[in-house]
Amino acid sequence: MSGRLPRLRARFGRSGEADAGDASTDPGRRAFLVRAVAGITGLIGAALAVPLAGFASAPGWQSSSPVRLLGRAIPPTLHGEGWVSVGALEDFAVGVPTRVVPVRQTTDAWVSGDAPVAAYVYRRSESEVTAFDIHCTHLGCPLDYIGAARRFLCPCHGGVFDREGEVMAGPPPRPMARFAARVEGGEVFLGGLEDAE
Amino acid sequence: MRTVGRWIDERLGISSILGGFVNRPVPRDVGWLHTLGSATLFLIIVQVVTGIVLTISYVPSPDHAYQSIQHIDGTPFGALVRGIHHWGATLLVLAVVLHVIRVFAWASYKYPRELNWLIGAVLLFVVLGFAFTGYLLPWDQKAYWATVVGTNVAGQVPFIGGPLLELLRGGTQLGASTLVRFYGVHIWILPAVLFLLVGLHILAVIRQGIAAQPRLTPLTEPSAGESRRAAYEREYAAEKRAGKPFLEAFYADAVVSLGVFILLVVLAIAMGAPLDEPADPNSVGYVPRPEWYFLALFQLLWYFTGPLEPLMITAFFTIAALVFVLVPFLDRNAERHPRRRPVALGLAGIAIVGIVGLTVLGATGTPTGLPSVPARPGMSEPDLRGLTVFNTQGCTACHSVDGIGGDVGGDLSTVGADLNAEELRSQIVDPDDREMPAFDQLTEEQLDDLVHFLAALK
Repeated sequence: MSGRLPRLRARFGRSGEADAGDASTDPGRRAFLVRAVAGITGLIGAALAVPLAGFASAPGWQSSSPVRLLGRAIPPTLHGEGWVSVGALEDFAVGVPTRVVPVRQTTDAWVSGDAPVAAYVYRRSESEVTAFDIHCTHLGCPLDYIGAARRFLCPCHGGVFDREGEVMAGPPPRPMARFAARVEGGEVFLGGLEDAE
Repeated sequence: MRTVGRWIDERLGISSILGGFVNRPVPRDVGWLHTLGSATLFLIIVQVVTGIVLTISYVPSPDHAYQSIQHIDGTPFGALVRGIHHWGATLLVLAVVLHVIRVFAWASYKYPRELNWLIGAVLLFVVLGFAFTGYLLPWDQKAYWATVVGTNVAGQVPFIGGPLLELLRGGTQLGASTLVRFYGVHIWILPAVLFLLVGLHILAVIRQGIAAQPRLTPLTEPSAGESRRAAYEREYAAEKRAGKPFLEAFYADAVVSLGVFILLVVLAIAMGAPLDEPADPNSVGYVPRPEWYFLALFQLLWYFTGPLEPLMITAFFTIAALVFVLVPFLDRNAERHPRRRPVALGLAGIAIVGIVGLTVLGATGTPTGLPSVPARPGMSEPDLRGLTVFNTQGCTACHSVDGIGGDVGGDLSTVGADLNAEELRSQIVDPDDREMPAFDQLTEEQLDDLVHFLAALK
């Protein structure tokens, strides 16, 4: 501070037009005015910046994503509420993942309503089903199930998953994300997207 | 007309400001290569005005964005305006990159223009930010999936990856809040940053003068004990004395801008602005590919594998960006002439070849989506059966034969010459390469046919 003030004084004090009165040519007075204007400006700026930045970045600081050393992809999938039927168990062949697109109750920010949310339903045995999110765990590209190869292939960077959703090859760091799934009265129901922890 | 002009000028005094601006002396060799910067500015202005007009009809909501784009395309001149905005983005990225290369080649970032390189480097990122936020707006397939991938790349950052991703998307889901956030950033926040930085960038050019072309022999002799500033001013004053009025360079700028404008309109009319199928978050089988200017980054992601991939991606991008921004402080060599900067130019050359190479690989690499290899003439019956197995088992996702198929797993066109049947069989069911999945679910017959087919590839 002590170094800056004399400089400011020198600069503003030298101004040829500053003959408005004794008070404003006084170097001490000038320094006060400069500081006051800078202070007021800074105060208003800071007071505005808090709500502005806070509002704009709310999804970031409100995020429930855990703090991790190794970052990861998050499926862009709309979150369906409750449980939804995707058809009779017997319509799913054992061992063949099948894509289903049930219409679910979703809330996307201010948009609430019915929206289709795709999943792969895999009937592992006569009575067991697993349901996968369709997105690659690497960077979220849509996985295509290649029946002949019994593999999910990612079209972006060559990720390969087996029918159990386990990584077979490529860059994906984790198995495919799963939906909660259950069989009731011969019908398959899907619940929410499970956290892949 | 002239009288009206004089009447206005008497009150505003614009002609004296303009006169001073266009008549100021600039170095004689300021010429055609310097028009890259003004072409960039010209394209920025085109993007701003076309963008402003597009907001009149565009709706940033998943329900209506796509239809509003279709509506724009169906309105008189709408397709043209959108076409100019689309191709303007492409040409802008190109112009910025060429401008950077020119500035680097002539070492115009050296004293006293280090700060202006910094501002310009940040401006390059702002332009890429515009590109990234802009192409989500049509809410078509390309837009949607590029945004899925792009936001997930942000998610790879250590510690703050999750919050950063949610900050971009406006939550974990990609939908209404994502689109309107990208829109707000695209039309308000980035332009505000852009105007500020472009203003400073141009102010710095006017204050320091346009950098002269580097000379092997300086125009003036150094005097003993003079400061860096004095030495610079002595030489630059000599450049200006031997110089020409800025109007001469301004003329070249105008001619190049006209050329760029004609190219832009031709592209907009001939190619139009592309619009993919409407965004379908539930589609499988879509092959996401970014715009050409992000292909190098997209392709680069092939090469980071293993559990530490997120760290490597972040470290690589951070270091690359920092090296680029800090060029004036890393390059301490005071020489400006290209012949005296072999190392700097060599490194830049390697970077350019790398980026162009990755872009070409990304553009030509066959997307996985199971291409089919055609039969070679004179194939035997088991070979043909093996070929069918090859085409249907997903092998072409990674491997190519005769130029058809993916390129990650390597070209198998002559694999029969390198491996015998037994080796082939073992590589299929129990591969050495951990990148390749074991195809142990094949029936014995399928496996026999496949090995037969591969062994015959010579």
